[in-house]
Order: sequence, then C-alpha cells, then structure tokens
Amino acid sequence: MIAENQYIPAPAELVQVIDETPTIKTLVVAPSRPLEFRAGQFVQLSIPGAGEAPFTPSSSPSRTRQVAITILRTGKITDRLHECQTGQTLGLRGPFGKGYPIEKTAGKDILVVGGGVGLAPLRALILALLEDLSGIKRLSIKYGARCMEELLYADQYEQWARDPKVDFTCTIDNPQEGWDGRTGVVTTLLKDVDVDKSNCLCFVCGPSVMLKFTTFTLEEEGFAPEQIYLSMNRRMSCGMGLCGKCNIGPYYICKDGPDMNYALIKDYPNVF
Amino acid sequence: MTTLYLDEARLAALLAEKEGISTFAPAPTDALAWMDTADGQTAAEALRQARPAQSAKGIFLAAAESVGRYGAQAGTPSRTEQQTMVVVGVRACELRAWNYLDKVFLEGTFKDDAYARRREATITVSCDCVDCTESCFCTLVGGQPHATEGYDVNLTPLEEGFLAEVATDRGREWLESGGSGLNEATDDQLARRDALRADMAKRVEAQNAAFGFQADDGNQPGLPDDADEAWGRFSADCVECGACTHICPTCHCFYLYDQALGPEEFERLRMWDSCLLSTYHRMAGGPGMKLTPRPALFSRLANRVLHKFAYSPQQYELIGCVGCGRCIDACLGAIDIRQVVKELSR
Repeated sequence: MIAENQYIPAPAELVQVIDETPTIKTLVVAPSRPLEFRAGQFVQLSIPGAGEAPFTPSSSPSRTRQVAITILRTGKITDRLHECQTGQTLGLRGPFGKGYPIEKTAGKDILVVGGGVGLAPLRALILALLEDLSGIKRLSIKYGARCMEELLYADQYEQWARDPKVDFTCTIDNPQEGWDGRTGVVTTLLKDVDVDKSNCLCFVCGPSVMLKFTTFTLEEEGFAPEQIYLSMNRRMSCGMGLCGKCNIGPYYICKDGPDMNYALIKDYPNVF
Repeated sequence: MTTLYLDEARLAALLAEKEGISTFAPAPTDALAWMDTADGQTAAEALRQARPAQSAKGIFLAAAESVGRYGAQAGTPSRTEQQTMVVVGVRACELRAWNYLDKVFLEGTFKDDAYARRREATITVSCDCVDCTESCFCTLVGGQPHATEGYDVNLTPLEEGFLAEVATDRGREWLESGGSGLNEATDDQLARRDALRADMAKRVEAQNAAFGFQADDGNQPGLPDDADEAWGRFSADCVECGACTHICPTCHCFYLYDQALGPEEFERLRMWDSCLLSTYHRMAGGPGMKLTPRPALFSRLANRVLHKFAYSPQQYELIGCVGCGRCIDACLGAIDIRQVVKELSR
C-alpha cells in the first residue's frame, strides 16, 4: 500500500497530461512513493476534497515512479480530472485487486480484446508482456473503437506489433471518410480468430455491453469460460472488500478481480 | 468456568460512571439507543427485557466517522489511546454479528485499524435473553437466546439478581472492580439458569415454528438468484428507506465521502450505505451504458437476502443473518425476512 492509512490517499503530482482522443486523456502522476503494482491492479485516483474513482494504470508495472492513468470523460470525477493541470497535486490509494494472472500466460497464446477506453488497463498487460516475450507463444491484440478519432494509443500499435510474435488488428464501428481499415464492432475481429484455441488465454476489457458480446463470441468460437478473463465494471468505494458495493455473487470485484475468470461468475445474473 | 452471583445493587455499581472507562448498556426499549450510561439501575432493568431495538455495531463502526485527513494537515484521527469500553447486555445474536464483523474487518486482506483498536479495547459482558420480541428468530439460523462464546462475562438475570459467568481474566477484573467478596452461584441458581435458557429457546422456537426452515453456517436455504422476479412479491412493499440495513448488526456497507475543511485541508468520512438504495451500485457513464448491475429494486432486495444466506457462508464460512429480527421491526413495508426465506426457498 502506498499510504499508511489505507483509506487516505497519498499525494501524487500530475506531471503530464496527454490528449489521447477527444474524450480520453492520460494523466501521468508521480506518487510521493513509488507505486509497486501488478498489471491489472487498480488504484483510486482522487481530486482532493472532491472524491475519487477507480482506474487501472495504463503504463507498465516496471515504471513505479511515474504512473499513467488513462481516463474517459464520463462523470463528475472524470470531468474534474480532465480539467486538471500539470503541477497539481492529486491523491492515490492502492494498489488494489489481484491483477492479471501473468504467471498463467507461460507457454500460451494470449488474445487481448479491448473496446474503447478498455484498451487502457490492457496496455499495462501488453507492455508487461512485451518486456519479455520469451515466456509466451503469441500475443494477438484485437481492438475496437467507435470512430477513427477515438482509437486510443493509435501511434503505438505499430511498435507493439514489431515482434513477429505479436499482431494487432483494430476496427471502428462504422465506415468513415479517410478510414480504409476494418469496420464493425470488435467481435467481428474474433470470427475464426487465428490463435491456438486449446492453449490460449483471453483478456477482455471494455464497456459492459462489449464484455457481454465478446464473451458470447469467444464461447461460440470454442473458448472455455476458464480461458476468459473479464475486467468487470462495478462501483467501488473502499477497494478492499469491505464496503460491499462491487459484488457479483460472493465475489468482490475489487478484491477478487477486477479481472475475473468468467468461469467463476458466469452463473450469477447481472454479470453484464 | 466460575459463575458468581451479584445482586442488582452490585451490578448497578459496576455500570456506574468510572474514570477512564466508557460503559455502554442498552436503554430500556422505549428509548432506542445504546447509552454510554451512568445510570446502572435503568440498565439492569433493560437486561430483563428483549434484545435492544438497535444493534450495538455503531460502537465499533459509527454511522459517519472520519477515517483521516489529508492535504496540509494530513493525519489519522484519534490515534490517541483508545479508552477501555465495557459493553454490557450484549445478546447472543449480537455476539454472532461481532464475530462476523471481525471476519470482515480484521481477517480479510486489509485490517481496519480503528475497528481493531475498538474491538481490542472492549470488555464484552453478554446477557442471556429472558424475554424476546415477536420478531426474534435466532433459533431459525443456528443460534440460541443465550451466548456460548465470545464474551468476557455472561450475565443471567434471575429474580433475585444476576449470575455472572466469568470467561476471561479481564472479565474477572471488571467484575472485581466493584469490590471482591462475590459468592459462587448455588446449585439451585445454576439449575434455574439452565431451565430459563431451555424455556427461552423453546419460546423462540415455538413462535417461529410456522416458518418451517432451519439454516446455519453450514446449511443454507436454496433461494432463487437475484434475476428471479419472484423477489418482486416482497420488493413491492419496499420503499428503499434503508432501515433494514442500518439496523442490521451484520450489515456493514459504506461509502467514502470527501469534504474540504479549507483550501488545502481535506477530510474523508466513512458513512453507512445501504444496498437497497438505487444509488448504491451507481457508476459513472454516458448514454447507452449500463450504470448499475441491479437497476431493479427486486434485484437489490434479493442481493441483500442472498448476501446473508448464500454469499456470506462462501465468503466467511458464516451465515450473515443472526436472527435478531430488527429488520422486521424496522421495515416500513412490513417485509418479514422469515417469510421471504420461507416462501422463496426451494
């Protein structure tokens, strides 16, 4: 934990603001103490006096002094976060949750599926995997955004796919002038997906409706629920399995997730 | 374990104001609260009544409290010496609830320091029930109306005074703080205690016989999931006031709320929350996004009951309902959790 009192944020200076898309910014913060975290673990980022919201860092876990947090403008706190200026002091609590089960990726094909700002947590996973590709067989990244302008980290795809083990495909929802790439929602990239399905783990992050249809598509494609990890969206206040809000059945997403193995939660209603 | 006898005057003296100790005891049932009391006589009277209308969880988890300050005046509140607290008249159902809260706040991934300090500083003086409310149903969920563990001293009200079973050294110290020279209980008194306990258990069993289910930590009723509209039969009467959750001794949901004390000074409060409220699960998000996983009230009511009867046993190996019946008394819509479980169990 970054702070002694687990309820209180440690100061974190905003050192850089990156305009990613018309609706998404990345805030790079320098916490008062290095933040040790696993890819997929999340933090509570606060605006002093106003409140906090949970985000999974989008930068590599090997960077602990400066942590990138990519934020879609979508509510009261994120509105305020989008207005923040470099030099401002924000607050950080965490890390919370289990993070991605990177230890289970050894010797496997890894299929990463992102929707919209859902690529942010997945970037921490992608960067962690890219730092040592020897452990895995393949990394296949499928990404969908609403439109061209909303493609997140567009300048980085080429670099990610530089190694022959890695491939990246993206799509936008509808045809658009100036776009000659794939169109259609992200699930269209998963039909007959070219990975070794019997030896593959899938990591999915995006809005609820995207998680739902991606999961159904992956099941149709022959993946077992045990192979699918979903970044679940739930209200979280404490981050520690105490405040109760984020349950799916007996699981607290903050403590047992936020990336949940689909086999654990699939039989509970209201998952999506 | 030693069981001693003390008359009412002696108990009243023990409950009287003491330097450096906060003594909490139930107020008689026409008042609602647990009192930090100096009036030993009133408290002794309340011990002969049914369980207090309110649970004592607020002693460890206040309805709203500061969890710390940050900014220029950063710090954690009340790190000062925690005063010894004596909580007198705790019923068996409440003790089970404390055991449950301990699992949540002390034995999880994160330990709550303030809760831990308060629990450690507490001398627990439990009390057998010699009366019950119509809503008491501890025997349906694996409990008894007398405590079997989790106390320092356990009291039994008899006609002539109180028996005090001493379970720990600090319980003995508390008892002897009113002076020494207490006699051991006589065989006759112990026999009357056992008879009272058996009668009380029978009375609670009898008033709940019609509900016809039996649950405990290892045995739960099969309830439908929170998407099943059968829950709607009960949620139709729910007005989302949150009284059931606030009065429940095991409900512990909260939210964190930040306030500015000055331009550079901020405080974070922990406030009780209620899973019945529509705002409870509410997330940020734009049009077309699902902002809460349980938009329907019946799903939220189901989630509360399922948390007690299905999820808690998986999370903590404890059933989450202790059968105190307070939610039944508090409900404006007259929803009776016993009836819910009876009608919906498969």
